[in-house]
Amino acid sequence: MSDTVVIAAPKPIRSPAELAAVWRWAAITAAIFSIVVGVAMVFAHLEHKSSDPWRSPELLKLKARLRDEPHNDALKTQIREMDLQLRQRYFHLLSLKASGVYLLCGGAAVFLIAAGQVRRIHRRPSMPKLNPLAAEQLVKARRESRLAIAGCGAVIVTVLFATAYGSKSPLPDDAVVAAKLVSGSEATAVAADCATDDELRANWPGFRGFDGNGYSASGSLPDSFAAEVALWKSPVPAPGFNSPLVFGAQVFFTGGDATKREVICLDANTGALSWRQAVEKVPGSPAQLPEIPEQTGFCASTAATDGRRVYAWYANGDIAAFSLDGRPLWARHLATPKNPYGHATSLRTWRDRVIVQFDQGEPEDRLSKLLALDGRTGATIWEKLRPVGASWATPVIAEVAGKSQIITLAVPWVMSYDVVTGAELWRVQTLEGEITPSPIFAGGQVIVASPSSKLAALRPDGAGDVSKTHLAWSVEEGAPDVTSPVSNGELLFSVSSGGLLVCFEAKGGKKIWDHDLAMETQASPAIVGDRLLLLSAKGDVVVCPVGREFKELSRAKLEDAFFASPAVANGRVYLRGNKNVWCFGVKEVAHVH
Amino acid sequence: MVRNRQLARWPFLLACCLFAITAFAEPRFPPPDFSETQHQLPVATTPAARAVWLAYLDVAVLAASLGLATWFIYKQRSRRGLFWLGLFSIAYFGFWRKGCICSIGSPQNLALGLFDSSYAVPLTVTAFFALPLVVALFAGRSFCAGVCPHGALQDLVLVKPAQVPAWLEHGLGLLPFIFLGAGVWLATTGSIFLFCQYDPFVPLFRLGGRSAMVLTGVAFLVLGTVVGRPYCRFACPYGALLKMAATVAKWRVRVTPDICTQCKLCEHACPFGAMREPEQGTPPPGQLALERRRLAGFVILLPVLMLTGAWLGGLLGGPAARLNPHVALAEDYLAVKDQAPTQVANTPAELALSRARLDPQSLVTKAAQIKRQIVIGGWIFGAWVGLVIGGKLISLSVRRTRTDFEPDRGGCFSCARCFESCPQEFVRRGVGPASAPEGLVGPADAKGAHV
Repeated sequence: MSDTVVIAAPKPIRSPAELAAVWRWAAITAAIFSIVVGVAMVFAHLEHKSSDPWRSPELLKLKARLRDEPHNDALKTQIREMDLQLRQRYFHLLSLKASGVYLLCGGAAVFLIAAGQVRRIHRRPSMPKLNPLAAEQLVKARRESRLAIAGCGAVIVTVLFATAYGSKSPLPDDAVVAAKLVSGSEATAVAADCATDDELRANWPGFRGFDGNGYSASGSLPDSFAAEVALWKSPVPAPGFNSPLVFGAQVFFTGGDATKREVICLDANTGALSWRQAVEKVPGSPAQLPEIPEQTGFCASTAATDGRRVYAWYANGDIAAFSLDGRPLWARHLATPKNPYGHATSLRTWRDRVIVQFDQGEPEDRLSKLLALDGRTGATIWEKLRPVGASWATPVIAEVAGKSQIITLAVPWVMSYDVVTGAELWRVQTLEGEITPSPIFAGGQVIVASPSSKLAALRPDGAGDVSKTHLAWSVEEGAPDVTSPVSNGELLFSVSSGGLLVCFEAKGGKKIWDHDLAMETQASPAIVGDRLLLLSAKGDVVVCPVGREFKELSRAKLEDAFFASPAVANGRVYLRGNKNVWCFGVKEVAHVH
Repeated sequence: MVRNRQLARWPFLLACCLFAITAFAEPRFPPPDFSETQHQLPVATTPAARAVWLAYLDVAVLAASLGLATWFIYKQRSRRGLFWLGLFSIAYFGFWRKGCICSIGSPQNLALGLFDSSYAVPLTVTAFFALPLVVALFAGRSFCAGVCPHGALQDLVLVKPAQVPAWLEHGLGLLPFIFLGAGVWLATTGSIFLFCQYDPFVPLFRLGGRSAMVLTGVAFLVLGTVVGRPYCRFACPYGALLKMAATVAKWRVRVTPDICTQCKLCEHACPFGAMREPEQGTPPPGQLALERRRLAGFVILLPVLMLTGAWLGGLLGGPAARLNPHVALAEDYLAVKDQAPTQVANTPAELALSRARLDPQSLVTKAAQIKRQIVIGGWIFGAWVGLVIGGKLISLSVRRTRTDFEPDRGGCFSCARCFESCPQEFVRRGVGPASAPEGLVGPADAKGAHV
């Protein structure tokens, strides 16, 4: 006889109280589970934020260090490894959070089902009772509700009041008034943060002077440019083909190469180095520099000043502003120029705006544009796309009928823009070749040159495409190839890189004389008073009278090479050579602002 | 039969026209040029735009769900049916469609479309706005009953409902109308879609979102375990629209379509405070004059409240305009315009301006125009707030004649919970006594008397 083991069957749960107890325990367990998961998720969330690679203090510190040590490969590796670790941790926590959401949903679902069952089991039908006070209670409830509505209304009014009076807005709700805040109207002109036009005209604030014409009506040239009579010469601390500019007792120019690009300031009285500042850590500037031919270099663009700040632009597309005492103000990377010969167009200032002619690539690339930047902040005030490819000419600003125009050159168009709004005013199709000579505005005409092929004069008072109506004259003989023409409004001079100097009538374009100077000329000439100043790439400094007959007044030979145009201000002439900056002229102390 | 076929042609024709509209998408801006840095532009991983036919499927599902909900409420009188429909809505409109497109946000699209000629309101959005409203005009809030995933989610978590005091219910009941006004006001200028930005449940459906809104959603759900549908009652702007439509609905939900026996068993059946007690239309003689004076006072007060609100709304327009990105950018720009630069890099406002390829003059001029529109909109919004407060005060001062317990026409979510508390319902379902007492209606007699 075998032993029989009797296993008692589990007692079925039948009574509502027992069922309710089981559901209650399930609900409590699910609630505790959900709370634990919820708390864990909150911790994971906080941890998640701290592991965000964008916010990690350690990583940010390393990145800041990298700016100071851009060639530290070990540091780069360390940053990459830390970045990878942070990202892995970030996504791990993200995945944990996602799992937590599902667990929480599951826990909440069990809780709701169990709690619902408990309530279902315990639900008892209500026992209606007579309420003799129902009518009074209804009246009371309505009275209380009205008070509640009034209370809510009072709260809403208070909140609206507090919000309305708690904030101040600099923006008016009248479009006309608002426009005046930022327009180039009289109010803005008064408030413009720059030197006056008279101050700037008395100095040499940009490429070829105040208006870019290379003409100083009131100045005079020294009798001799021999090295012995130089007031001072100062070695050029960094290479570059850009021209010097002068404001007060300061001479500015830029220099540099692929490793470093600088703005340099000399004391105009002594030639001593006042300051030099590198343009570096420019936001958005790529580490890889474009390939620039040596004959152009990274510093072919001439800087500009508005009398408050000096602006510099380089062939890698970086533009920067410094105070006159050398304090960095702002820097931007506009874009890396697509230019086969390297970017060479110079900056121009108008009031406290910086005008940037950024022509590049081919016309179909639609990359070329003209910009006006706020000199104080570097912010773009306006920007206009240009239907042209790369060019090397610098724009000039012409005042025509009381309005300032920006005259730009790029094949095939001479285009004029309103300096205030950037709106295109007129255009003339006349250019060909690779445009290097800059335009000038003289005698009420815009004079432009297609390299070695055509010299033309245009009337600047048109609107739209005025190619067929506004060409005053054009000549094919004697057009410059590299340098820009110069004029006193009556006579016009051009000089080729081979040294052929040609004189024209400014009105009509009739050739008056020509003369071979027998020197390689890369620097644009300047007229100071009644004298024409020409520089050669071998160090020649030639002075001729501005007249209907050629005459060489003086010729000096300096141990230098001149590719930059001269700067003339306060009775002095500043020549930037490849080796030295030279100063000639009166000995009086230059005007100090 | 022929007539039916003719009628069927129109929807078919309309559907063909809708399907013929195809969406063309192309990048609005060319990608940046990375040729200098040799950076390889990664392949976009953003999923393609939803196919047009799927958008119309959403509309079809919405229409079918509304029809089904109405059928469950009026024909089947089935809470169970609405429960399962609600689960489907949570799954489809909530988790599957991730809360978008949704009817709650659609008034903003329509408002923007009305005031901005460059913005075309998609047909699906129009359908999501109009269908629940049209149904509400005929059959009350069928949408809230089981089609809206927000409401269904809150229904699901309701464990032990507590009655909210009437004064609090009425006071907080103002908020959806004010939210509706604010959302439409700011949407007309393209400033912000408030309903979407501050939707507490969409982040839950998407299993992620801004921490503040996730926590708000969780808070609503926790509160919803003891207070029935807190979001629907005290925040939902589309619910405010549906409430107004349902107030004038052709048909209305009744606890019983048969004769009410005044048993009062349904008195506490509604977890949303929408059950209204019987009420005498005329006050006692001693109170009549007082109540008339009070009503007259509130009627006179109404235009005063609206004018005050308009004035306040105009004042609020300035700060509210900052919600518009153009205005915010212009204000940021103007705030730093005249300050001396202190840092090497540009300010965020200047960078934004540069990236937006806007010049300051056009930006500021445009922003000022937008601000003007927002200030004018503020007057209307303020007047609306005054109208809501004044209208509520007037409605609370008007007596109504009600002989039975019945759901509030506007406030009832048509959830069908109260049906089960009525003895008549048990008789109708055949679960009551074999022979119904006199006055009770048997199942056979109840046919055709549901609405």
